[in-house]
Amino acid sequence: MSTLTLLAPGDEFTPPGLELFDAAPIISGVAWFTKPVLLALLSTIIVIGFCWSAFGSPKLVPRGVQNIGEIGYMFVRDQVARPFLGKDADRWMGLLLSMFFMVWVWNLMGVIPVVQFPVASHIAFPIVLALSVYILKIYLGVKHQGALGYFKNMMFPPGLPKPIYVLLAPIEFLSNMIIAPFTHAVRLFANMFAGHIILAFFSLVGFWFLFEKLTPLGAPLGVIGVIMTIAMTGFEMFIQFLQAFLFAMLAAMYIGNSLHADH
Amino acid sequence: MPAMSEKKIRPEDDGRDFASAAWSIPSYLLSGMILYGGAGWLLSKWTGVVAFTPIGLILGVALSVYLVYRKYGR
Repeated sequence: MSTLTLLAPGDEFTPPGLELFDAAPIISGVAWFTKPVLLALLSTIIVIGFCWSAFGSPKLVPRGVQNIGEIGYMFVRDQVARPFLGKDADRWMGLLLSMFFMVWVWNLMGVIPVVQFPVASHIAFPIVLALSVYILKIYLGVKHQGALGYFKNMMFPPGLPKPIYVLLAPIEFLSNMIIAPFTHAVRLFANMFAGHIILAFFSLVGFWFLFEKLTPLGAPLGVIGVIMTIAMTGFEMFIQFLQAFLFAMLAAMYIGNSLHADH
Repeated sequence: MPAMSEKKIRPEDDGRDFASAAWSIPSYLLSGMILYGGAGWLLSKWTGVVAFTPIGLILGVALSVYLVYRKYGR
């Protein structure tokens, strides 16, 4: 429990803060190799291993891991890919499925006992994913609509009075080119970051008032802390799934908008 | 080009349009505020007239709402 060693010495309860996210190098001297990097590598291996065992030698009547894999595949295809990509959905399933599973496993690392660190709470990880989608989106847009056509379709949506374009085109540009990819990464990061702090806070309340400084008045507070930890862990698992879904869904939406001009 | 309301909407497109709109709106509102609020703030800095910042912010939100309304609202 890294949170315990971070407690300030003294009798007062100190809520956990940003030091939760300080990651020391695992091997001294290799500065980049920290806990989130290790967990990200581990997640990659888990996702590859899972997909391999699920889809490696598919049977007509699925059994075992293939069953679970197909549930995941169907979910991503029907809820993420098809609504935004239509008939192109199948071509993008490889990317979207890996992205969904990857982000989900990253997030799940936040509630797996002992591990307990959501990878995406270091913003560099979601930024890399969002940036890849951003580059892909522009590449596809230019490829399918032409360099001029892509920006024209983006900045000049049809059906508006002509003079107003002077004012609205910059908003479209800023929204599509800067704010959208930014929020794509930040949404995932902020949810995981905040969730991790909340879980750390409530478990520390429980630990502090029930074990460190057990007093008749403090004990009920500690019990509340434990109950809240359990409740928030459940809630956090829901958020983790939701954010993985949203991340893949927005990626599908951006890809879809690049493939076909928006209305 | 026909406006959105005149287009034939297939049932499966309906969900897509709704989701696109829902996820694009915050982005548009934020963009409008940043762009025109920022322009207003710069004007305030240069001219010393404080009122330009709130005017810019409100103009930005109004333009964004108008854009969202024209794109998705009808």
